[in-house]
Amino acid sequence: MSDDIRYPSEKPEHPYFDSSLSGMLLGTLVSRFCAGCGYGSIGQLYTRVFEDEKLDPKLFPLVIGIGCYSQIFFLVHKNAQKMLTLHGRAPAIATGMKMANPKMKPIIFSGDGDCLGIGGNHFIHLCRRNLDCILFIFNNSIYGMTGGQAAPTTLYGAMSTTTPYKMFEPRSDGVELSLAAGASYVARTTVAHPRTLMKYFKKALKHKGTSVIEVITPCVTYFGRKNLDNLGSKGEKGEIMDTGGKMFEWIKKNSIHINQAKFMRKEELFNKYIIGEFRYNPSKSEYSEEYKKIQNIAMKGD
Amino acid sequence: MNNGNGKRFLKPGKYLMMGNVAMAEGALSSGLKFFGGYPITPSTEVIEHLAKRLPEVGGCCMQMEDELASINAVMGASLVGAKAMTATSGPGLSLMTETISMAANIEIPFVFCDVQRCGPGTGFVTVPHHNDVGLTRFAGNGEFEVIAFAPMSCQELFDLTITAFNYAETYRCPIFILSDAYLGHIHEVVNIPPKEEILKRVIDRTIPEDTKGAKFTYEDITTHKLMIPKPYIVGTEFCPPLIIHLPHNQDGVLMPEENSLRFMKIMIDKIRDNIDKISLTEEYKMDDAEIIIISYGLPVRASYRAVDLARKKGIKVGIFRLITVWPFPKDKVKKVVAGAKAVIVPEMNYTGVIAEQVERVTDLNIPVIKVPKVATLHHPDDILKAIEEVAK
Repeated sequence: MSDDIRYPSEKPEHPYFDSSLSGMLLGTLVSRFCAGCGYGSIGQLYTRVFEDEKLDPKLFPLVIGIGCYSQIFFLVHKNAQKMLTLHGRAPAIATGMKMANPKMKPIIFSGDGDCLGIGGNHFIHLCRRNLDCILFIFNNSIYGMTGGQAAPTTLYGAMSTTTPYKMFEPRSDGVELSLAAGASYVARTTVAHPRTLMKYFKKALKHKGTSVIEVITPCVTYFGRKNLDNLGSKGEKGEIMDTGGKMFEWIKKNSIHINQAKFMRKEELFNKYIIGEFRYNPSKSEYSEEYKKIQNIAMKGD
Repeated sequence: MNNGNGKRFLKPGKYLMMGNVAMAEGALSSGLKFFGGYPITPSTEVIEHLAKRLPEVGGCCMQMEDELASINAVMGASLVGAKAMTATSGPGLSLMTETISMAANIEIPFVFCDVQRCGPGTGFVTVPHHNDVGLTRFAGNGEFEVIAFAPMSCQELFDLTITAFNYAETYRCPIFILSDAYLGHIHEVVNIPPKEEILKRVIDRTIPEDTKGAKFTYEDITTHKLMIPKPYIVGTEFCPPLIIHLPHNQDGVLMPEENSLRFMKIMIDKIRDNIDKISLTEEYKMDDAEIIIISYGLPVRASYRAVDLARKKGIKVGIFRLITVWPFPKDKVKKVVAGAKAVIVPEMNYTGVIAEQVERVTDLNIPVIKVPKVATLHHPDDILKAIEEVAK
C-alpha cells in the first residue's frame, strides 16, 4: 500500500487527528502505545463524544496527569485544550481552573498510581467538595510508564517488578473511595465495554458535580505478559495473557455487573471488578455554585 | 451588574496595618482574583484576611487540603487568566517546589509570599530567620531564574506586592516576596494611595488584540532580539493547543532534544538580559563611604541606625540595600564594592547566602564580614561593633 492511498492529500481536516502536532512530535505517523493497549480507543471515544454532542472542547480543558495515558494528548480531539501536568496533582489544578473561571468544566485524566497513589489526598478532597468536573481513573493495575511496578490497585497474587514473588498487599478501590468521599456520580466500566463508557461519559458531561469514572484498561506489556489469567490461584491451570485479545477476554471475564454482584458472596468477588453505575445524585450542591452564594453575601452593600 | 470592584481599593489615607494584612491589601489592589492557601504560622493572617476580602471583589479564596494542592490550584487559576497568589512559610515552600519548577517551565505567572520562620524542620514557628533565601533561588528541579523581593516595612509590603504582580505579568517567572515572622506580624502605618494612582501602576492580564499574527513569538523577527510574550489564557484563542512542561517552542509544540539548550537560553536569558530593569536597589550615605553595608529585609533598619552612629564617630559608612535579592545584581554590587575598605553583610541567617554572593564579586583583598543573627533582630550595636572593628 503506498502512502498516497493511506493518507490522501485532499483528506479534509477532521477532529480525530492533528497532523501538524503529531508530525512534530513523532516524525512518523505511529501511535506511541504498545500493541493491545486500551488508551487508543479511549482517545477516540473522547473525540467521538464531543463530535456527537457538538460541544466546544475549548471549554472542557483536559488536565492530564503523569502515566502511560499522558501520551493520549495527540489522540484526543484536535481542538481540545490539552495540559500535561504533574504526577497526581491534576485534581488540584482543575480545582483552581474551575474556581477562577466557573464557565469551564475541567476533564481530568489520571491513572491508578496517579490518582489513588501519589494524588490520593487531592482526589478525596475533590470528591468531598463535589466540584463540577469529570475525573477519569484509568486503571491498568500496574505502573506501565516506569516499567511494570506494583500499583495500589494491583490484584492479589499478581507479579510485577517490585513484587517479584507475588503481590500481597490489599488493593485500593477507586470507586469505594470516591463513594465514601462524596462524589455525586460514580461509575466503573472497562475498555472492553466502549458503548457503556460513551454512555457514562455523556451522562457525566451533563451532570453538575464531581463525576468519577473508573475505566479498567489492559496493559499487555507489563501486566499481561507476566501474569496468568487466574493470577496464580490454586487448582486452575492459567494461561499467560500476552496479547491484547487475551487481556480483553480476561477483563470481560473478570468484571461483574453491579446488579449481579449484589447476589454474590464476598469470596466470589475477590480480585474481581464490579462495573456499572454506583451513584447518581444530581441534587447534591456543587462547590462553585455554593461559592457564588458566598460571594453574593460578601458583595452586599457594594 | 455588581462585579464587586467597588471594594477592591481601600479609601485613601493612613491605616494601622499588620504586615501580612498590608501584603494582602497590596495584592487586592493589583487585581488578585484567586488565593489558594493552607494555614501555616506565621503566614496565617494572609489567608484569614483574604477569606473575608476576596469574595467581596468577586474573587475566590480557597483553603486547600495541603500546600501541594494550594500551589497547584494557584497555577490552575493563573492558567485561566486570574491573577493568583499563595502565602506560606518554609516547610510549605519546600513542599511546593515541585509545582514552582513546573510553573517556571510553562511560564505561568503567580506571586508567592514566603513568611519565613526559624528552621530547619519545624523549628521555632514564631521567630524570623531568613533561611529560605537560598531555597527560593533554587526552588525546584531544573534550571530557571526567579525574582525575589525583600521588603522591610509594612508600607513596602503593600507597594512591593503591586510591583511583584507587575513583574509576574511581564517576566512570567516565579516571583517571591521574602517576608518573615516579625515583619509579617509588625503593626505599622501604611499610606494607601488613591485608586487612580494605583491603577496607573497595575499591569492587567489582557490578551493581545491580534491573536492571529505574531502569537507567542520569543524572538523579534527583524532584530532577532529576545521578547517575552504575554501570558496565555486557557479557554481563549490566545493559548497554545498543548501546554506541556518539556522544552517547547512558542506554540507549545515539543522541541527536539537538540534544541533543549535553546529553550534553556530563552528561559534564563529573559531574566539575565533584563537584570538592570528588574533589580531594585537603594543607597544610603554612599557618596564618600569607605565601609559598605550590603543588606536586605529587616537588618537594613538596624543598619540605618548603626550608620548614623558610626558617622557621628567619623567613620565613613554607607548602606547598599537590595530590594530585589534575586536575581543578584552582580554588576551593580561589583561597581559599589570596588575600592572599598571592607564590606559588612548583616543577615538573619548563619551561613550568609547573600554574603557568599557578595564574596563572589568582591576583590580578594577586600574583607567581607558576616554579621549573622538568628531568631532575633539585629541590634544597631551589633553592626556598629563590626564597623568599628574594621575601621581600626
